[in-house]
Amino acid sequence: MTLSLVLQAVFAGVTNGMVYALVGMGLAAIFKGSRVINAMQGEFSVIGAMTTVLLLTKAGWPYPAAIAGGALAGALVGAFIEVAFVRYMAKKNASEDSFLLLTIGLALTLSASILFFVGRDGHLLPPLGGEGVLIVLDAVIQFHALWLIAIGIGATLLLRAFFHRTTVGLSMMAASIDADGAATTGINVARMRTFTFVLGGVLGAAGGILVTPLIGVDYQLGLNLTLKGFAAAVLGGLTNPLGAAVGGLTLGLVESLAIIGISSSYKDVVAFSVLIVIMILMPQGILGRAGRRGG
Amino acid sequence: MTSRLFWIAVALAVWAVLPFVVPRNIADLLVFTGIYSIAGLGIGLLLGHCGIVNLAQATFYGLGAYASAYCTVMMGLPSAVGFVAGAVISMALAYVIGRPILRLTGYFLALGTLALSAIASALFFEWDWLTGGTLGIGGIPKLDLFGFVLDRPSRYYFFVWIVAFACMAVARNLVNSRTGLMLRAMRDSSTAAASLSIDLQGLRTRVFVVCALFGSLAGSLFAHHASFVSTQSFTVDRSISFLLIPVIGGATSIPGIVAGAVFVTFLPEFLSKLGDIHQILFGLALVAVVVMLPDGLMGAVGRIRAWRAARRGGDAG
Repeated sequence: MTLSLVLQAVFAGVTNGMVYALVGMGLAAIFKGSRVINAMQGEFSVIGAMTTVLLLTKAGWPYPAAIAGGALAGALVGAFIEVAFVRYMAKKNASEDSFLLLTIGLALTLSASILFFVGRDGHLLPPLGGEGVLIVLDAVIQFHALWLIAIGIGATLLLRAFFHRTTVGLSMMAASIDADGAATTGINVARMRTFTFVLGGVLGAAGGILVTPLIGVDYQLGLNLTLKGFAAAVLGGLTNPLGAAVGGLTLGLVESLAIIGISSSYKDVVAFSVLIVIMILMPQGILGRAGRRGG
Repeated sequence: MTSRLFWIAVALAVWAVLPFVVPRNIADLLVFTGIYSIAGLGIGLLLGHCGIVNLAQATFYGLGAYASAYCTVMMGLPSAVGFVAGAVISMALAYVIGRPILRLTGYFLALGTLALSAIASALFFEWDWLTGGTLGIGGIPKLDLFGFVLDRPSRYYFFVWIVAFACMAVARNLVNSRTGLMLRAMRDSSTAAASLSIDLQGLRTRVFVVCALFGSLAGSLFAHHASFVSTQSFTVDRSISFLLIPVIGGATSIPGIVAGAVFVTFLPEFLSKLGDIHQILFGLALVAVVVMLPDGLMGAVGRIRAWRAARRGGDAG
């Protein structure tokens, strides 16, 4: 195990980890705002990436506009899911399990819709920053991966500022911590819940758009991203979107170091085993302090 | 009570005649309905009586199927050995994994079982010396009951459904036994149950083991029906569709489990006549059931009955 091999694994781990982090942050934001585990979080990524692909290749939009269109598609689907389904079920006091099943059903529907309307082929997007690579000590990292990591870090910091500095972000936190209390201070709790879904949709779409130049997107990508994003969010303590960023990076690094330690084919086995062990041994997530259900 | 007996007799008569009057492809689906009912029954026990969402049933289904395939094709052993081996391995695994994993609750437990299914599906794929990987294992013999070969769907139908009825009887007895009472106490108030010195962890593990047993039996039955098993049959998607059975039908009701199994086997088949759009429609049907019928189909039937009884009571008064 040479230094460059380890460095290569670290590069790959951080890159993948940032994608898991984006998906996981969206999941955690939705859970924080609505107590719904969104089993279709990965579908947001697929929708965002597919929309970008279609706008770029079929409609001929410039790349930045197509990316914005993809992110917007994620936001709109998120808002639609909340207004059309979650709001109604929350009114009926549906159980945790029914929300899980609802989002599983929506995930199946969306994945089937993409298969039906777009087809089963995979699609790639052009890498950001061109095809070039950076070589450090014989380890290679694509410029696109550097962009991905930078955008991921930027999104994490923005999200932090959003929740701590802006009125909307603070209102969302308030609505999730104490819905009745928030309502008495004039916060529209239902609208805040819609916003969390919009936020989750945008973050998921961003993860999907950024990962597509590396691995491509097809209608089946969603489930795997949901599972990894879920794992990232749980490692981070689930209610803490920023914890999900740490969780995602940890997961990515564990996975890619497992590849050089064991074998590439056991990547998922290692990732999910780590997830199960951490859930049992460290129920608060690896950061530990925020608590599973608290703020 | 006599009317109840009458309806049971009618249902049995329909059940006995059905495979002979329907076309072969429907008989084939009815076999699958039986197999899925067995697998779904275990999940229904966990969901309805312990409040546990089990998304790992494809793991045990796969273990049963591969045990049957490996024992009969690779080792040339009688098929009964495959059934027993699958059941023993599944129950042992469920016990070993269940003890720690069932300490989780709610979403975390659902996610834990989902992760388990993802791990198992990756291992089935990687351990191709055992499972044949994506190429699978073919040539699994049809079951042979004392010289009577169950080589047609209409014959296998009876065997599968008799096994299914036996499993339902076991599940019913379990629910009506002391264990069932403890389960109900645990579901309604786990703290109160614990204070009555009920071993919650042991209880949940026991039901998880029974669920794994049912999953493994269903898998072995599937292997002997399809004659071919490969990794595609034991993915996370399959675990999800197994979970849908009790969710759609109603977890605590045995007719509900059968209704759920009919839903997940027949609906995709009928919708597929509409062309490629059928998967979307299936997804939407699922969403509609979850949103509109939170207690499943049987819960809806119960509500209609209660509503009619109330109306009749209103008329009399």
